[in-house]
Amino acid sequence: MTRRLLWFAPLVALAALATVPWLASPALIQFGITTLLLATLAQAWNIIGGFAGYASFGNSVFYGLGGYGTAIAMVQLHLPFGVGLALGAALAVVFALLLGLPVLRLRGHYFAIATLALAEAMTGIVANLDIAGRNIGLVLPLLKGDALFYELSLGLLALVTLTVFWISRSRFGFGLIAIREDEDAAAVMGVNTTLYKAAAFTLAGFFSALAGGIHTYWITFLDPISAFDITLNVMMIIMAIFGGAGSIFGPLIGALLLASISEVLSTEVTNLASLFFGLVIVVAVIFMPRGLADVMRRFKRLGWRYFSQNVRENRL
Amino acid sequence: MALLLQILVNGVLLGGLYALMALGLALVWGVLNIVNLAHGAFIMLGAYVSFYLFTLLQVDPFAALPLCMLSLFCFGYLLQRHVLNLIVRAPMFNTLLLTFGLDVVLMYLAQIVFSADFRVVNPSYAGANFSVAGATIPLVRAVAFAVALTLTLAVWLVLVHTRLGRAVRACAQNLVAARLYGVEPRTVYALTFGLGAALAGAAGDLYGVVSQISPYIGDALTAKSFAISIIGGLENPLGVVIGGLFLGILESLTSLYVGPTYTDVASFGVLVLVLILRPKGLLGRAA
Amino acid sequence: MTPILQVSHMTKRFEGLVAVDDVSFELAEGEILGLIGPNGAGKTTTVSLISGTVEPSAGKILFQGAPIAHLPAFRRSRLGIGRTFQLMKPFPGLNVLDNVAVGALFGTGGGQRRLGRAREDAANWLDFVGLDHRALQRADELNGPDRKRLELAKALAMKPRLLLLDEVMAGLNHAEIEEVVTIIRKVRGRGIAIVLIEHVMKAIQSLSDRLLVLHHGQKIAEGPPDEVLSDAQVVEAYLGRRRT
Repeated sequence: MTRRLLWFAPLVALAALATVPWLASPALIQFGITTLLLATLAQAWNIIGGFAGYASFGNSVFYGLGGYGTAIAMVQLHLPFGVGLALGAALAVVFALLLGLPVLRLRGHYFAIATLALAEAMTGIVANLDIAGRNIGLVLPLLKGDALFYELSLGLLALVTLTVFWISRSRFGFGLIAIREDEDAAAVMGVNTTLYKAAAFTLAGFFSALAGGIHTYWITFLDPISAFDITLNVMMIIMAIFGGAGSIFGPLIGALLLASISEVLSTEVTNLASLFFGLVIVVAVIFMPRGLADVMRRFKRLGWRYFSQNVRENRL
Repeated sequence: MALLLQILVNGVLLGGLYALMALGLALVWGVLNIVNLAHGAFIMLGAYVSFYLFTLLQVDPFAALPLCMLSLFCFGYLLQRHVLNLIVRAPMFNTLLLTFGLDVVLMYLAQIVFSADFRVVNPSYAGANFSVAGATIPLVRAVAFAVALTLTLAVWLVLVHTRLGRAVRACAQNLVAARLYGVEPRTVYALTFGLGAALAGAAGDLYGVVSQISPYIGDALTAKSFAISIIGGLENPLGVVIGGLFLGILESLTSLYVGPTYTDVASFGVLVLVLILRPKGLLGRAA
Repeated sequence: MTPILQVSHMTKRFEGLVAVDDVSFELAEGEILGLIGPNGAGKTTTVSLISGTVEPSAGKILFQGAPIAHLPAFRRSRLGIGRTFQLMKPFPGLNVLDNVAVGALFGTGGGQRRLGRAREDAANWLDFVGLDHRALQRADELNGPDRKRLELAKALAMKPRLLLLDEVMAGLNHAEIEEVVTIIRKVRGRGIAIVLIEHVMKAIQSLSDRLLVLHHGQKIAEGPPDEVLSDAQVVEAYLGRRRT
């Protein structure tokens, strides 16, 4: 009986969330859109960072490419939004394959640094492109109706979560997990590590780009700094890790919790929120590096000692 | 031809400063295996220390160097001893994440405390320059270059020829054995990290004299420091000099022949290329 | 009948050190070849060259008649080469069953397509090596001997035609060694060819059809166990340095 409930719960939640635009205040809907998109980013990161174990510090590139693809398509080429989204996603996929393949050969922190460098470089490159509006950026046509963007974001989150769900039960997912746990052993056991890593990176990029496209159309503006915002990387990573990387719902819970707390704490928009995220990372990495899922699992046995034990295990 | 010489001179001067910038990062990374993504934030803090010493107390930026270094040393020491120490034995990714978080915290704290306005440190001799072989050399940059190189060489000497240096390197090799020889790793780690921060502080001080200061300069400087460390290779402390000079000259040439807005792209592009092709750096052996 | 494995003039140089020097040998289907030699003789490197973890500096490797020397490791697994690691590499975060399931999912011919079937296969292999009672435990919670068994099960789940075993008996007591010997005999009974690296002399002597001795990367003897073990050169290089 409980197993059936487990299946129903996400569907019920999804249905409930879909009704929000008709029940909530405009401010709450806006908060909802932002959170849903952040959750999508966290979930997309989960594919490459959580399952494959390749912690990318540059997924903001895909987000920005999605945004710019959409903006350029709509503003410069006068194409509809759907085409814009597709263009953004295509850009991200091409980028993931072209640059992902060489960069994915790097292990551990070298990979992280390389993705960080790529993210920084993209900001610089795009700021020099006329078609992208250089440093000034682009202004998109306004589409009124937050409800539409909300449902779009919700749909995207559902799609990426469904993908992660499928990954967790598939041969592909097992291959990714094997790569994460021990890449050499995985290769020797028959996993095509290059192909799988590239696929994971591309998937992550695809969904991140769609999120970027939706967000850009919603706020009708983007420039290089905001599109490739480095702090987005911070947020998506900490949300995924805080909630539990490598799990299905971890990133969602992490995103919801952290976004809510950040919203409650901050009166400003970016400053304090980012400060908050920075602090959360520091505290979380020290006291609960394996995320909320692990906390809940072991808190029952260990109580508050769970946190001090994490420290004792890892300190010098 | 004269223009090319000027560009090269600019590049070399910049390179010396870059080398000092990267030295702190490379030291901590190569010796302690701590990848500090907040390194640029330390540089930024050093710049602000020198800025406020100059603006409020009229302390000459070069005279302020010891103060900058000392304050950042204490900051780094305490940070390592009480925060970073807690995750030293965790997987490397945790360190990346933690320092990433610290970077964000420091950046936004700086924004709140110092405001986002651009600052400059303008000593009275700021505009002075002299000529060598037809190339104009700003006095400030020349002195900064000299200081940077001196510090870099000094650190190298300390690492290789003193007891402290040996203790630090011993810890890097083998913690257990180091303990047996009476070296207390936690102190050595904190001292080394503090030294790294002090070097960042010095670099920040000098940076403030040649460029504009804001809370946001950290990230790009961190990335450049990485580029330099990787290009120069982590195995030899003097590798940062090679890496710094390389990057300085590259940026100068890019600025002239491609465009000033492309310098960052060039630096990061080279970093990615080096990572892919020769992860152990130009001085290190190919991977 | 074509030998399942043909190695000719295989050499591996690392930065000034020749780890494997012009080694040639053949292995027939269902045969057990014991690979012995002092530490550092190049035994593990030889196995790594065959499994694809490392690429040869020179020489040819033919598996079932086809050249594989420049194929990546995962392709060789798909062809039917399985190996265990001396420094065991379990997937730490996964439970024992899922560890073995990875082998079932990606082994020879591409393995199983569906997770459910792979887990079933994995359960059978755990039974084969005697680890079924630990199926749901985390792999990093296992003790030494059980880890060896897990390594074995993982490799077997790939349904290899050639199995490369690297010191699966190290650190085991007498009874445990006997169990592993039995398992290896069962494996050979299924027609799988085996290359076996071991220091446990009695076991390797009784299991192997032939022995090959490496010293400083070079082959210094090859033949039936009794012959090889009484060869003066072998005794001096290897046994002479140890007091059994």
